[in-house]
Formats: sequence, structure tokens, C-alpha cells
Amino acid sequence: MSWQDYTHDMQRCTRCSYCKWIPYRYMRNTDFIEGCPSVARYNWHAYAAGGKFNMAYSLLKGRIDIDDTFLDVLYRCQMDGSCDVSCKVQQDIEPLQLMQELRIKCVEEGKLPQPHQTVIQGLREEDNMMQAPKSDRGKWAGDMDVKDLAIDKAEVVYHAGCRYSYDKELWPVARAGLSLLQKAGVDVGIMGADEVCCGGRAYELGCSDEMEKYAQRQLETFRAAGVSTLVTPCADCYASFKVLYDKIGKGLGIEVFHITQYLERLLKEGKLKLTKKVPLTVTYHDPCHLGRLAEPWVHWQGKEVKVQGQMIVHDPPKQYRRGANGVYEIPRNILKSIPGLKLVEMYRIKEYAWCCGAGGGVIDAYPDFALWTAAERLREAGAVGAEAIVSACPWCKRNFLDAARETDNDIKVYDLIELVQKAI
Amino acid sequence: MAERELAEIVGTGNVLSGTEVIKEYSRDLSFVPAVAPRCVVKPGNVGEVQELVKWANSNLTPLVPVSSGAPHFRGDTVPGTGGSVIVDLSQMKRVIRVDPRNKVAMVEPGVTFIELQAELAEAGLSAYMPLAPRGNKSVIGSVLEREPITMPAHHWDSTDPWLCAEVVFGTGDKFRTGEASGPDTVEEQWELGRVQMNPFGHSHVDFQRLISGAQGTIGIVTWATLKCHYLPQLKKAFLVPSKNIEPLIDLSYRLVRFRLGASQFILNGLNLACLLGQNSEEIEKLKKTLPPWVLFVSFEGYGVLPEDKVAYETADFKDMARECNLKPAASIPGAKAEEVLARLAPSPEPYWKLRFKGGFQDIFFLTTLDKTADFITAMSELAPPENTGVYLQPTVQGTSCHCEFNLYYDPADRAEADAARWLVGHGAGEMARRGGFFSRPYGAWRDTAYSSAEGTQKMQRKVKGIFDPNGILNPGKLCFEIKK
Amino acid sequence: MKLAKQEYQALEYIVGREYITQELVILDTYNQVWGNKFFFDEKHSTRPSAVVLPASTDEIQAIVRVCNEYGILFKAFSSGFEYLSLALEKEKGILLDLKRMNRVLEIDAKNMRAVVEPYVSVYRLQLEAAKHGLYTGRIGVGYSAGVVAAECCHHGCQHTMVFTSGYGRNVLGVEWVLPTGEVLEMGTGESGGELFSADGPGFSLRGILRGRTGANGGHGIITKASVKLYPWYGPAEWEQEKKPGEPPSRGQLPKVPDGYKVLIPTFPNIDAALEAAADFCHAEILYSLSISLLGTDVPAEGNDEEWAMMQAADPELAEEVKSSLVLVIGGQSSRELKYREKCVLAITEKRGGRFLPEFNEPAALARSFVDMIWSNGVPALRVTGDFLPSSSSPDGSPDMLKNLALREGEIVQRYERSGAFFRRDTGQRQITWRPEENLSTGAQGISVALYDPYDPSSLEAARRFISELFDPRGKFQRFGVPARGGCLQIESVTHVHQNWGQRYDNYDLWLRKLKKMLDPNAVADWSAYIPPDYPDYPREGGYVMPSYPRKEEKGE
Repeated sequence: MSWQDYTHDMQRCTRCSYCKWIPYRYMRNTDFIEGCPSVARYNWHAYAAGGKFNMAYSLLKGRIDIDDTFLDVLYRCQMDGSCDVSCKVQQDIEPLQLMQELRIKCVEEGKLPQPHQTVIQGLREEDNMMQAPKSDRGKWAGDMDVKDLAIDKAEVVYHAGCRYSYDKELWPVARAGLSLLQKAGVDVGIMGADEVCCGGRAYELGCSDEMEKYAQRQLETFRAAGVSTLVTPCADCYASFKVLYDKIGKGLGIEVFHITQYLERLLKEGKLKLTKKVPLTVTYHDPCHLGRLAEPWVHWQGKEVKVQGQMIVHDPPKQYRRGANGVYEIPRNILKSIPGLKLVEMYRIKEYAWCCGAGGGVIDAYPDFALWTAAERLREAGAVGAEAIVSACPWCKRNFLDAARETDNDIKVYDLIELVQKAI
Repeated sequence: MAERELAEIVGTGNVLSGTEVIKEYSRDLSFVPAVAPRCVVKPGNVGEVQELVKWANSNLTPLVPVSSGAPHFRGDTVPGTGGSVIVDLSQMKRVIRVDPRNKVAMVEPGVTFIELQAELAEAGLSAYMPLAPRGNKSVIGSVLEREPITMPAHHWDSTDPWLCAEVVFGTGDKFRTGEASGPDTVEEQWELGRVQMNPFGHSHVDFQRLISGAQGTIGIVTWATLKCHYLPQLKKAFLVPSKNIEPLIDLSYRLVRFRLGASQFILNGLNLACLLGQNSEEIEKLKKTLPPWVLFVSFEGYGVLPEDKVAYETADFKDMARECNLKPAASIPGAKAEEVLARLAPSPEPYWKLRFKGGFQDIFFLTTLDKTADFITAMSELAPPENTGVYLQPTVQGTSCHCEFNLYYDPADRAEADAARWLVGHGAGEMARRGGFFSRPYGAWRDTAYSSAEGTQKMQRKVKGIFDPNGILNPGKLCFEIKK
Repeated sequence: MKLAKQEYQALEYIVGREYITQELVILDTYNQVWGNKFFFDEKHSTRPSAVVLPASTDEIQAIVRVCNEYGILFKAFSSGFEYLSLALEKEKGILLDLKRMNRVLEIDAKNMRAVVEPYVSVYRLQLEAAKHGLYTGRIGVGYSAGVVAAECCHHGCQHTMVFTSGYGRNVLGVEWVLPTGEVLEMGTGESGGELFSADGPGFSLRGILRGRTGANGGHGIITKASVKLYPWYGPAEWEQEKKPGEPPSRGQLPKVPDGYKVLIPTFPNIDAALEAAADFCHAEILYSLSISLLGTDVPAEGNDEEWAMMQAADPELAEEVKSSLVLVIGGQSSRELKYREKCVLAITEKRGGRFLPEFNEPAALARSFVDMIWSNGVPALRVTGDFLPSSSSPDGSPDMLKNLALREGEIVQRYERSGAFFRRDTGQRQITWRPEENLSTGAQGISVALYDPYDPSSLEAARRFISELFDPRGKFQRFGVPARGGCLQIESVTHVHQNWGQRYDNYDLWLRKLKKMLDPNAVADWSAYIPPDYPDYPREGGYVMPSYPRKEEKGE
């Protein structure tokens, strides 16, 4: 669909402003009821999803152009989807998809903001989003004894992702994830230096062509490698492979797991056992791309019809993605089964979790906003008495680490992989 | 000449200018200086009131509306300037309608509580009343003055129990407030089921609020509708004695928070004695017997399960009293709760506040219940406690409290009278300085009330300029100057 | 229309560069308000010249002074969730977005009041007040209604009015920036005292603050309000939960909280139900009452699911809904709750009612509780795209409201039958009201017509419908001035005051004088208040037609 196809949605936005907050019925602590980092930080209604509907409608009507303000408002957004969940509690409209299409339009008109252009240039040249040399991609694995799927075959490919591949501080986590699979006897390999970006972040920036290109490449690569299963420790990559590729009709044709899902399977099968105590009070942060954005894509073709005079329904009935079918319980179940670990919940969780701040290109173009968002999340973690915040995505971990340092917050920041490793 | 013109409006027999009449309306029992009116007129209907107001405008003659019978106590019915005409509405005495289905009564300004209660009782209803109002107190007068009712659970808003009204503004325009307005007569409205019960509106203005508490400076009300409550099938009353006020305040908060009980208020021993005693000697005797402080509460049974209602309310009340270490009783030395209950009715003559020493001056203001102890202490340092009555009435469902001090004195004793005169002004000033909110600015404390209300004054004058541009309605009252 | 350079600079100096904008992209997110399509046949109304984000009363005061100096119109809002639309009456006008004024300043638990800034929502105050055993009433539009907007500026009718009143009755204090730039604090606030009374000295200026509806920005900006709170018998905190995989709309309480009960009696017919409703109110036992949708159903995820549920609904049960009531009772003690429940049973029996197990199943009652006490949002907006509160106005006795509802119902059904409105075959009735203060000031009549503003024939029908209701020569002439929320009172379009004033004691002439007095330079936007003058006043019982649609303003 193109952005104009959302005209119905633009018209139906009533400015209820639910998009600014978590769904009201789940509010508990009034210090933590905001859902949208953009409008929370920048205040103007334009920064809310409702504002984007307004912008799109004004653009449609020829009242405004895509100027610097338009771009700033559109891109100062993590594309985290909190607005989408809240809006759809009572509406049948698609704020996130509209914002995605607006970004695609901006790219088509050559208006991608400069910092993103630099990143995309890097992607084109080096196949990663980190502006780092392609040749360095596999270095995260160090001297681990693992199959190289460029030359070998395995059932499972462990796809580290761009962030894990190039963020040295996070390498131990990537290695730990792989090592857990190996310990469980999984026939696993990595692409090493031949691993390329999933293209998901590029898509979120509006570069749909790039993702299409990488999707095709991944498809061919995995086919050649003969893998039947993909496991990734990166939530962004997971959502790309699982949801976005399906959306654009380029499903990989193999099983796709986030590492938490795969670990759960291994634990259930008894191939891994959590026996060591990890005496820690932790809170779990739902990565957007493992949570609400990981809800499987729904393909629908049909039309809008009216019944009972004026009630708007669809033929056939349309299933909206309202965030409920993301991966929420599995990481929690794992944490709860770690001996000695106490799990406390924050006030904004699951479908309505507050974003870590890194997504949508914000970490590259608006790093101060990314850190602000993360700092808010750390504050929330502290408010529930957590000693550590645990997530399941390298972008979350990176942003939380940076925010903790920036704000002198001594809260520990873990990935779930690390805690599982401690408990093995 | 003027009297002739007035007689053409209200009828010759309704224009009074004899010496005794003039003297009677020149003063009241407050210390407000006496000012003789020109004459007194007694209109019989809204048309006459309108004509009076129009006449007053064309002659720039002040009008002073009065609806209750004498004696008056607050100075608001004493003309602010010479040459005024008293508009005495006391002979507009119709209880126009009693609606038991909707619990609404429609009355004219001359109707007293005694008269209204009699009619309401036949319909199984009762009026909301202030504490033992005097017999010839006009119901509308009481309600317009925002006198607090004794049933805080039923006091949703400061204007309660007033609903709608027909009013003649200072321009001479007739107006019906709230739901009473319309292109039809009230009788026609009744046919539609419209019973002038909803006070809100029109649109963006609550005209009713501009008349409430205005002391007749914005308009003259010619009828009003009022909320009524059910006449209970049974009642139970309690007195809760206490040496100190604080536990009673605690208990009062618990009761009022949960809307428990019907009438509820706190009196000091002196005021309870005045309420119960028939004369000075009885009051003196009771004073010695009664406890320093008493909380009175009644529980009324009505509706579908009257006995159950009283039973659970009294049981819960007793639990609350226990939590405050208080012992409610049906009778205490010197008083029975049932007696006090009976005294809540309109006061027989002489008015209960006059019985102790023959004279009194009130100081009353709004505060919150938790601050009243401080005000009591402060007042005790100014006024002799043995002659100072205290009455605390939770209002607006407990969000505020009417705090009243009654300074009793012998008007025949010059020294006492002078002391009372000084006290009523100085005492009000001291209470205001401590945060007492004088929302009803009468006589001695009028200037005190407005001393920290510049913005309100300014706005009220502008509003007055709209509804009474010539300033003919009760000039000199509230913050309105007398126009030359 | 752009501001002149010195005008912009004057405002920028007050709020700081970060908090003022003239960017078209942002301006156009402030003039696409809910009701616009109905009035203007276009989602966009007048584009503001600038939008500012003030942080304090001082800043707002300074802004208003600048507006007076340069003749710039101004209007403020909080959430902007407004069925009234947004229509700046002059091309040079600014909006004040009050998002930065969002503090709960005080909750005085003992004296049962809260002092809040304009951006505080009702649900947020409900969450905070519950910790103190207190509650603020549930506003019609739900969770996100602004407390200050509801109590002072807009309509303020509440689902819980039987217990918590509404319509500005709960205002205990106000800080008001007048159109002149002066600040008026009413009552105790002016002397620096605690905000427990806004009345006096003398008569209360709450009379000009609002009536049945507020001024919707027409006489300045309310920067702070003290509001009365009510007892809350429930927990200090609660959690609405759903099962994994269920959509977020399914979250609910596991049961009705301790301290409360919900009972849903069903009566032999609507008349018995209405009589019983009055009995319940007069018994002074209710926390909330609904004579309409029960709120017991699992909320539909979206329209498709709702349609499926409608088709699968048991028609007999749907018929029973029409004569059922939802009663919420609470108690500060178990005795009180038992007594209240006993009253419910006694009155139900008296009026021939019974309790159907389908309606009184615990999870269903818990859902009803949530809707009545907090809200389920406004799913009606999803059904067709918009709804009209179709009652012309009034509040009054149940008998009058029944009379009105029957007349109105005939008209609504005509439009429903024609297909112009959503047709409600089941589950809804045409006579319903919300009692106020145990029915002692009457009740509010409510009915709702659902139409599609983007379907030209439905929109046209909606306008004809409103014209019928709002025609003071018509069937509703004698039922009171239409004043729902200032709703449908966009004066440049619907001419309510011109048409109704002459039949209702010329209230419009007084209102115009008040407007002129408060706003001599006519800088406070009057679109939903009263215009400084009428361009076309009806004479001798005539009628000025609504003048929608309005020409679309083209962007600069």
C-alpha cells in the first residue's frame, strides 16, 4: 500500500490523543503512563501518531510540503509502535503503517535526512548499518570453533546482526548466545564475514528497495547454505526476517527464531539446564521488535463495506495487528526459571512497553533523543526496585548502557543470554 | 409624587410611609447605621416588581428588597443610602407547587419555613433548613443568602437547595434561570414534565450563581424552586459530648466523608444551652451542666427500607465514634438528642439567639473543619468564651465548614453593646487575617471580606454594570458604591 | 495568516524559541479536530498563525497581553479531543497547547479536593485520588478528558453524576487568565488561601465561568482548578489484565473490586425500568447508574468482530437489555454495602424485576464496572466514524426526558431507517438518562446518533437531523437551549444563541454583554461561545439557518 491508501485512516483520526499514552486501562503509576517517546520529549502534537495522520492529510491536500520540519517530525520517532497499539484499542486504523509509508515516500523523493543517508551509503558499500568494513564482520566470533556456512553446512544459522557484529563491547553476548547453542548440541554455523544486514532498519528508514535487495540475498544465501532454521540474538533482525520479509512477499522459507524462543525449546527438551543461582532482582524490558513489532504479518485483500446503514466493516473480515501476538511470555518464563532470580515488572510492558530509544534510526540521527528515551526507561526500572534491566536485543543493551553511563545510573544492563549463561 | 406613582404600581394600600413603618425599616439589630427609607412598597406579583424596578431606574431611586419579617440581623436590609424604597416581598406568600415525585417545591419570597414545612409535610416532604431559623425567615431569603443547611450529605453545592428562579434584574428585565426558562409559562412546562428543577444553564452562564449571595444587588427574586427531602418515617438522634473539640472534628470528618447521617453539626455548650433553653435563667443553668462541646447527628429512615437504613447508619456511626474514643448517647446531662432534634425546626419566638442576653452579633465565615480549632482558640482570646456561642456546620459535603461565633450581649447595657460592636468588626478582621473566608460580606465585616478580593470586586462591579447599570438595587452592599 | 515579525518575537520572548512554532507542518496538526468535518465539510479548519507551548500562568498571562496589544485571537486546549471542532474565528489567531501544564498540584484527602493543571486527564486523577480513598467522576468522553476542560471549560457531564455531580458543580477554585491578561482567582484563592471555595465574597463568579457548558476558550484560559473529590470504596491500586494473545482492549478486572457491587436487574418493560431507576436514585444508594448499554459484553476488538458479535447475539437477550439497568453500589462498610444491596433487591422486586444470570456473571459485571467507573474509551467513534450527541440539550425530570426521548427517537429512527445513520436493531433503547445528585437536580437526557462524516449522504442527513433538533420553531422548542458541551454551538455555523435567545429570556443579550465585558478587544476565540456581534440576527420569531459547509481555508 502507498501512503495515499491510508486516506481513510487520516480522515478517521479524531485526535483522541490515545497514541501519546499507553492504553489507559493498563496505566498504574502516573509517573509512567506516557507511551510515545517523541511527543513526550518534543510536545508538539505533530510528534504523535495522530499528528502524522494530520501531516499526511495536509500533504494529500496540498497544504504542506515535505520540508525540513516534516522530515524532523517524521524521523524523530523510533517507529516503536506504541502509538499503534494504543490507537487500535479503540480504532481500526493504522498509524505505524502510515508512518512507514510516509518514510518510503520521503526516500522516493530523495529526502532522507543526512545522517541516515550516510548510514545507507555505508550499507550499500559494506552491507552493514554500522559504517564499518564488511571484512570485519565475523570478528565478533573470535576464535570460537564454529562452522563457517560460507563453506560448510549446518541445520541452524546463527545470525548475529549488524550491532552484535561490530559493537565490540557486546561481542561477549553474541558469543555467549552461540556458545549456548553449541553446548546444547545444536548443529549451528555462522556466515561470519559473509553475513549481511537483514535490511530491516533500512526499511524502517524508508529504504524499502534496500530491504528487498537484502531479503533476496538472504533467501539465496540460506538456500545455498542448506539451513532449515535461523536463530538470531537480535530482535530487530528477528522482526525483519519474521515479519517484514513476509510483508513484502519474501519469506525465507525456513524457521525463524529469536534466541529466546530457541533457548526455551532447548530448556524444555532438557538440552540446557538452569542450575546455578543468579541472585538478582531484575526487570525485563520488552524489545519493540521482539514484542509488538514481531506480531506476524497479516495479509488481507478485500474491501470496506457498510452494514446496518453506516457501520464500517470489511469483506472479508480484516484482522488487525494490535500487538497481542508478539513474544512476551517466553523471555519471562526463562527468567522466572533461573534459580535465585527475582523478576519484577515495570509499569509499561508487553504490548505497551516504553521503547529503549534506539529504533527507527534515532540512535544514528538523534542520539540525544535516543539517550533521553533510554534514561526514562532506566528510571522506570529503578522505580520498581530492579537491580538490573534485562532485554533481548543488542540495540536495547547498547542504548541502555550508554544512557546509564550518561546519567550516572549504576543499574546493571544485561541481555537475557547473559543471565542464562550465568545460570548454566 | 413618588408615592402616588408607586401606588399606581402596587396599589395604595401597599405603599407605606408612616413614621413607625419608616423607623422599623431604617435599622435592624446589627450595628449598621440606621438609614431611613423613603417608603415601603409591598408588591404582589412579578409584574409589579418589574414596574417598580423600571420606575426606580427612571427616577434613579434605590430599591432595597426584603422578604423576611423583622427582626433582621445582618444589615443587608438596611438602606445604604437615604431616599431608598424598601421592596417588601413578604406578602407574596404562595407555595405555588409541591412536587412529591421530583421532590421540588416552588415558593414565593414571602413564604416562611413554618408555612412551607406545613405544606410539604402533607406531601411527605421536608425543606432543607438552616439551624433553627427564625419563624418569619423567608425561605427564599435564607437560600439566597447561602445559609448553610444542617444536612451536609445533601449539600452538593453552595447554592443548594436552590434550583431555579424567576428574577427581575436591575434593568427591569424579567428572567427565569436554568430549566425554568423558555417560551412558555411554568404551567405549560409542567404539562411537558418540566418542573424547573435543573439549575444549569443557559448555555455558558449560570445566572443563578450571580443572584445567590448577591444581597439583592443583581436582581429581585419573585419565585424559586427548591430541593426537598423525604419526611422520614423514623428518626434517631445522638449527642456526642467532648471536653475538647478535636475528637469531634475527627468524628465529623468521618461522618461527612461517607455522607452518613442526616443533620450533623457541632455546638459549644453555650449554643446548645441557647438552643434548648427557653429563657436566660434556663440557659444559664444548662450552661453549667452541658459539656464544653457537643456533636449532634441524626439518622433518618425513609425510602424502601427505613428501619434498615437507620440501623446500619447508627451501627456504623457508633463504630466511628469508638475509633475516636467518643461515646454517643441519646441523652447527656442537660440535654436529650430528641429535644435537639425538635429544635431544628423553625425557632419559636423569641428567636433562640435572643433568649440568652437579648442581643447577639454573629461572625461567620468559611474554612475547613480541620482549621476550626485554631479559629476557636483565636476567638477565645478576643471574646469572653462564657458569652460566645460556637456553631460549626460542615458544608458542601464536607469540603468546607461554616464557622460561626455568636457574640451574646445585653443591648441595654452600653458597655456590653460597645464591646460587641468593637468585637464584631475586630473579631472578623482577626479571623480573616488567619484565613477565614468571609464569603457572605455583611455589615461589620464587609470591608474585611473584600480587603483581599480586589479582582473579585472589579469583576463583580462589571457584572453589576450589566445587570443593574444605574446601581439602583441595594446600593452600598457587597462592594458596590452608592451612585450619586 | 502569518504573524508579523514583532508579534512572533514578542511571543518567542515569552516562551522561548523551542516552544513556539509557525511551521505549517505543525500548525496543521492543530486544526484537524474531531468535529471539523461535521461543521465545515473539511477536516481542516482555520490554520492558526502560530502554536505556543506555555509552561506557566505567568507565560499565559504575558501571551494574552501580547494578543491584546496586537489584536491576535487566541484559544487554548489540552488534549484537543473535541467533538466541538476547532475553529479560530479570525485568520490571525494562535493556539496555546497546554501540554506542559500537567501537574497534579495537590490532593487534600481530608477536605476531599484536588488542584490540577489543565493537561491532567480524568483517569490520571482517578489513579492518584484512589491512593487517598477518593475519586473524581467518569466523564462522558472517557479516560482522556481533561479535568479542567470538563469541569470548567466544556460540558462535564459524568456517568457517575448520581453520586459525583458534574457540570461545574465540583469547582472549588479556579485560576483564570482573563482575555484582558488579568488573572482572576475566585473565592479563597484570591486571598492566597487553600482552594476550598470559589464562591464570593458576595455572589459567585462561577456564574460567568460556565453554565451547563463552559466557554470553550471564549473568555480566556483556566490555568488551574480545584475540584471536589468523592469517596472511593475500592483499592488504592488495581490492575486490568488480559490473557496472552488477547488484544489489549480485552483487559479487565478479574472481578468487581471489594467495596463495590454491580447488579443488573431486568424489568418487564422500559417503563418499569425507568420507574425503578428513579426509585434507586431516590434511595440514595447509587454510585453509578446506566439505563443504556450494559457494558457487560467482552469489548469487540474492532468493527468486524463487533459485527460478528451483533449477528451472533441472542435476540431475546438483546430485547431484555432494553429494560435492564446497571447499578453500581459501594460502601464504606460491609453493613452499608449490604443495606444498599438489600435496597436494590427490594426495589427490583417491587417493580417486577429479576436478575438474569447472563448479565450478572462475575466477569461481565467486572467489565461493566470498568466502563461505568473509568471508561472503555469511545469505541462509538470507530463504528461509523463519528457520533452526534443527539439530545438537543436538556437536563430535567425523568418524565420530561422520557417525553423528549420519544419525540427525538422518532426522528432518529427515521434517519436510521433511511440508512443515513447506524441502525440499532438490538441492545439499545431510545429512552435513557443519567441522574444527577441522586436525581435531586434531575437527569441528563442522552441519545447518540452514529453517522459517517465521510459519506456525503450520511453527513447531509446528520446536518438535517441536527437542524431539526436545533430549530427553535420545531418540536424541541420548549425543551431548553441546546447546549451539549457547547456542542454544535459553533456560533459561526449553528447560530444557537441568535435563534434561541429570543425564546429563552433573551439570555443571549446578557451573554453578549458578558463577553464584551470580559473581552473588550475580542481576542479570546468565540467560535464555541458567543460572537461579539451577530451578522444576521433573526427577527420576530424567525430563524437563521445553520451555515455549513464553510469554505475551506487554503494553506498559506
